[in-house]
Amino acid sequence: MGKKKCVAMLLAGGKGSRLSSLTKSLAKPAVPFGGKYRIIDFTLSNCTNSGIDTVGVLTQYQPLVLNSYIGIGSAWDLDRKNGGVTVLPPYSESSEVKWYTGTASAIYQNLNYLKQYDPEYVLILSGDHIYKMNYELMLNYHIEKGADATISVIEVPWPEASRFGIMNTDKEMRVAEFEEKPAYPKNNLASMGIYIFNWPVLKEYLEMDDRNPESSHDFGKDIIPLMLDENKKLFAYPFNGYWKDVGTVKSLWEANMDLLDDECELNLFDHDWRIYSVNPNHPPQYISTQAEVAESLINEGCTIEGEVEKSVLFQGVLVGKNTVIRESVIMPDAVIGENVYIEKAIVPSGMNIPDGVVISASEEDDEIILITQEMIQGICS
Amino acid sequence: MKKRMLGVIDATTYHEDLEELTVHRSLAAVPFAGRYRLIDFVLSNMVNSDIESVAIFPKYQYRSLMDHLGSGKNWDLNRKRDGLFFFPSPLLDSPSKGIGSFNHFAANLDYFYRSKQEYALISNCFTVFNMDFRPVLDRHIMTGCDITVVRQDGRSLEMYLVKTSLLVSLIENRNETGYTCMSDVVTDIHHSYTICNYEYDGLAVMIDSIENYFAASMGLLEPEAWNNIFLRSQPIYTKVKDEPPTRYMKGASAKNSMIANGCMIEGTVENSIISRGVKIGKGSVVKNCMIMQKTQIGENCVLDSVILDKDVKVESGARIEGRHEMPLVIRKGTVQGALMNS
Repeated sequence: MGKKKCVAMLLAGGKGSRLSSLTKSLAKPAVPFGGKYRIIDFTLSNCTNSGIDTVGVLTQYQPLVLNSYIGIGSAWDLDRKNGGVTVLPPYSESSEVKWYTGTASAIYQNLNYLKQYDPEYVLILSGDHIYKMNYELMLNYHIEKGADATISVIEVPWPEASRFGIMNTDKEMRVAEFEEKPAYPKNNLASMGIYIFNWPVLKEYLEMDDRNPESSHDFGKDIIPLMLDENKKLFAYPFNGYWKDVGTVKSLWEANMDLLDDECELNLFDHDWRIYSVNPNHPPQYISTQAEVAESLINEGCTIEGEVEKSVLFQGVLVGKNTVIRESVIMPDAVIGENVYIEKAIVPSGMNIPDGVVISASEEDDEIILITQEMIQGICS
Repeated sequence: MKKRMLGVIDATTYHEDLEELTVHRSLAAVPFAGRYRLIDFVLSNMVNSDIESVAIFPKYQYRSLMDHLGSGKNWDLNRKRDGLFFFPSPLLDSPSKGIGSFNHFAANLDYFYRSKQEYALISNCFTVFNMDFRPVLDRHIMTGCDITVVRQDGRSLEMYLVKTSLLVSLIENRNETGYTCMSDVVTDIHHSYTICNYEYDGLAVMIDSIENYFAASMGLLEPEAWNNIFLRSQPIYTKVKDEPPTRYMKGASAKNSMIANGCMIEGTVENSIISRGVKIGKGSVVKNCMIMQKTQIGENCVLDSVILDKDVKVESGARIEGRHEMPLVIRKGTVQGALMNS
């Protein structure tokens, strides 16, 4: 195995419980997003676009969809002879089965994977976020600062700062203190869960952390504070741009709606930073004579016979006659019948909405409805 | 039952009537239906019929065809055993024409010698259809014929099923027999072969002129035609482009149209076929048109019955109109100003 300058470790085992039924049978990074992607496409494409060709993907929760989606990585040009993508599930040792109990333990249990490449730097990523970022620029910053570890941060609005892990830095951006969800934040630089470590330092601290029975084996809670205690050089790397944790039904809906906004910084049409995904081979979309479409994002394989407004439609969606879809996200292969009305909702993959169903949130309620099979059965019975 | 048929695609054809579209590309690489090239149909049909070894014999302007096919990965033909073979003609200026140009095959006889498949399906590269070839093979074996010709309403679709050994002997003896291609064999009244016909009742259009290219394209907007060509169980594969979904902006309107990915639509589109990565500006009206990849249409343009080839730029305010029975073709990469063609 050839030596690599930088190897990425992508944490993709998240359950994403707040996404409710969407993550019942698949991990959060595999949740569909943006009309044709899955959430993990953004991180994997960022790796390819940043020139990182060796990526370990750590899976645990409901890995079937994710594993078969990633395959050998060809969709992201990560099918390489030396490096490429490797799916790293938890495994058993002669004495016991070791589940990944935290972000740090997941990496620790795959130290052998990293040793094969003997990298200079290790990039730790999460497969839960929607953003476009050049990791090469972050690595250059890390090298310039002579850091042991660099943490990517983003400015969040002050009132929201207490929801995040906050980095308190000096004016050189060296991290003095890390506070997980502080009640009274001293700063508004939130950790994005993206870390670059010098490989020998990472190895040392992961081994130390493994020996500590008190540890929760988490980068934010254990590794970073320990490194700060020991006066290691940790720097914050400020990121400007679109970054969203689509952890809830509402934030997933909002991030999809963001794509319909001309002001949105997340440009899917940028050919210099393409977001790659597995292509399902559908014919072009067909918009019928009776159809109306406006301010929407519609993928191949759709047949639209009704009215679609301010919505995101994934591949293979059918929209029947006299049906109205507003401000909604319709996931792959959903079949929407005739005379249906759907507003501010998410329709999961493959769902069948029978003729005449009306789904919309009440006026005063600004919640987004995640349509479930039970809901449809309730309406139709 | 796999590994019984070789696929042989003759991409040497040149139709003068399609010149406007084949200046820069071979007929096999002519764009169709928003995201395909003509060769995708026969090639996907072969793959969907369990054919695992396909040989393509191109002749004219095959750069775009090679770029399109690559290693064959998109058709699942990048194989260790068998897969996709590309045999450009060593005889660029030879007069050989027609389907199954035996001279061209002869230069690559090794392919036929080395292949273990017992039968060979020889096809043209310019038919739009979605057909399972396996029943043709079953019939061919059952009847014991030497040559089976696929026909529609009695007309040959220029697709032939033969034993590979017979094909080899036809190629080897081409100088003695005078046969230059498969159609020479089956149209010769003195031949000694038993020839059977296989009547195909699905949709199949052989593209040989701008008029029928345009008519076939527009015909796809009929759900019946659409459902005949695009089957979920037998997909038509093509080169993947990683374009985002198409975005309809404020003021956009689309009716009775087929639209591929990566487009940004701010204007009005009616009865048209729009390929990948096309931009249609505010206030522009596009009717009865076929617009190919990455063409950009400015604001307040009016386009009716026009075929715009790839990478055309239509400047704001331009008005371009052809006739429905004979559309205007705008060549690849040209710029159309507001005062031209008006």
